[in-house]
Amino acid sequence: MAGLRRKWSELCRQLQAKSATTVKAGPGAGPWYPPVVASLTAKSKAAQRRRQELFHQLLEEAGSIEKKLQLYEQRQRRKFVVYPQTFALRADRSYQSFTKTAFVPGLPPASRAPVDLDLGALRSLACDALLQEYFYLRRPFAWSLNPPQPLHEAFLTQLLTSLSGQLVARNPLLAASTLDFQPQVNFYWMRGEEVVRHGHRSGRVDPVRFQIDDKPLLQIRVPKQLPKFVPLDDLVAEEIPVINHTPDKLPMFKRQYENKVFIGSKVADPCRYGHTQFHLIPERLKRKKLIQKNLAHHIEVVYRANGIASLFAWTAAQAMYQGFWSEADVTHPFVSQAVVTDGQYFAFFCYQLNTLALTVEADKNNPRKNICWGTDSKPLYEAVEENNIKGFNDEVLLQLIQFLLNRPEDVQTDRPLASA
Amino acid sequence: MATGRVVYPLYQLGNPQLRIFRTNFFMTLVRPGVPQPEDVVQFRVSMQMTRLDIKNYLEKIYNVPVAVVRTRIQFGKNKKRNHKNQKVKCPDYKVAYVQLDQGQTFQFPNLFPEKEQTPEPGSIDDIQNKYLEEERQKYQSDPRRGGVPDWFGL
Repeated sequence: MAGLRRKWSELCRQLQAKSATTVKAGPGAGPWYPPVVASLTAKSKAAQRRRQELFHQLLEEAGSIEKKLQLYEQRQRRKFVVYPQTFALRADRSYQSFTKTAFVPGLPPASRAPVDLDLGALRSLACDALLQEYFYLRRPFAWSLNPPQPLHEAFLTQLLTSLSGQLVARNPLLAASTLDFQPQVNFYWMRGEEVVRHGHRSGRVDPVRFQIDDKPLLQIRVPKQLPKFVPLDDLVAEEIPVINHTPDKLPMFKRQYENKVFIGSKVADPCRYGHTQFHLIPERLKRKKLIQKNLAHHIEVVYRANGIASLFAWTAAQAMYQGFWSEADVTHPFVSQAVVTDGQYFAFFCYQLNTLALTVEADKNNPRKNICWGTDSKPLYEAVEENNIKGFNDEVLLQLIQFLLNRPEDVQTDRPLASA
Repeated sequence: MATGRVVYPLYQLGNPQLRIFRTNFFMTLVRPGVPQPEDVVQFRVSMQMTRLDIKNYLEKIYNVPVAVVRTRIQFGKNKKRNHKNQKVKCPDYKVAYVQLDQGQTFQFPNLFPEKEQTPEPGSIDDIQNKYLEEERQKYQSDPRRGGVPDWFGL
């Protein structure tokens, strides 16, 4: 703490010295005095505002993205920990309001339809991956009745790798991409205000801080950004739910630990844009468990909350890696996709980040909203009996292929993409 | 059920069989001190009740669909003093937050709504109010005297 304070005071001194030397004397002759400004250390509103301005200035003048992120993450306070995979009822509504996201049912119109796909080959790939886990490996009989989490993980990994390997010829972006297995994705942001209740800072107005620590099963990062779904200032009709109670009533809890903004790799990585994330729903939130608990209506909420929270965290972290933050809002939308699944049921989500200005001051007169498109979950297959798969759903497979084929316009299909 | 001592009436041969068992629990619906989500109802419940008890109580007796129950124990204040200036501990109590199912919502009713303050002209209330107002003005001290008592002066 003392080190931080020393660094802070040193930065302040440097800035003050710099501003004193850069300001030139006015046209009139005579002595020049430094501008009269509020104190930096006093306990007054003006001083508080000045400290805030200084902090913004420091962030703007930070030389590199690493420095900027370090400054942004520096101050530790108690913050709400947002779990994308949550048991909380109606969590999707709250998550929408925390992230300023409008949820639009259905997927955005695809820019291009997949043409002359060999669906048979792709289907056999998917079936092979499934049967490998359920049948060929000759696992204990009990596993096929109640498949454990590692089985689903292995199936999804195999499905994604084999499908993307097959689709590389159609989408050269995949060849230049990076596939992360269980990466860390973190995002830290502030939205809304609250009065500090306890401690020596009690009575002060503080921003409400949030942190997401996400761990998708798989994610694909690419060197080129996916095309936007709608223009940046396009307003969607869907409203963002207004939540009148504090976040801790969700229930959510506060903790204090290091703030982190991370997309799954460091800033220097060329694959700095998101393509698709795969999330596996944990055992305790699966369809069967929720139906047992008489919470069948909650099944889709789990998927939706996961889609909204994870995609916001990932996409916003990508935007911060490009130097945008709440005071310097994004100049072009950021786009990511996600597949949320429990191994059998698949839900698809697309996210477009239109704004990062979520703090109270930055959110004034900001009509932009983030948009999340999403489908309800659909089964890929109904059951696996011995070595035949019952009720394989081509529609889900096609949607998955469509997600993997998504690429920006300027990537040519005939030419392999040079890694940036 | 309650873990406390349960006393049933002594069964005498030939008495009718007691077939209805009622709970010896009580749940008090209270107004939430801080805003809660619209599907949350707050209760004060007896200390022995578990979450499952609360869920069964509401579902079986009142047919209220319950999704989730959360409970906590509120520490009673230890600040109060009696006439001998000894500390008196207020009893602890259990608070239950019940989240309703099937999209049901609940808002605690406003039991004491603000009354209309304008009585009908000519009614007894109106005359009484006017009279009281006049009396009050009569006994008010003169603001120009600046708080100097009446007996002082010419």
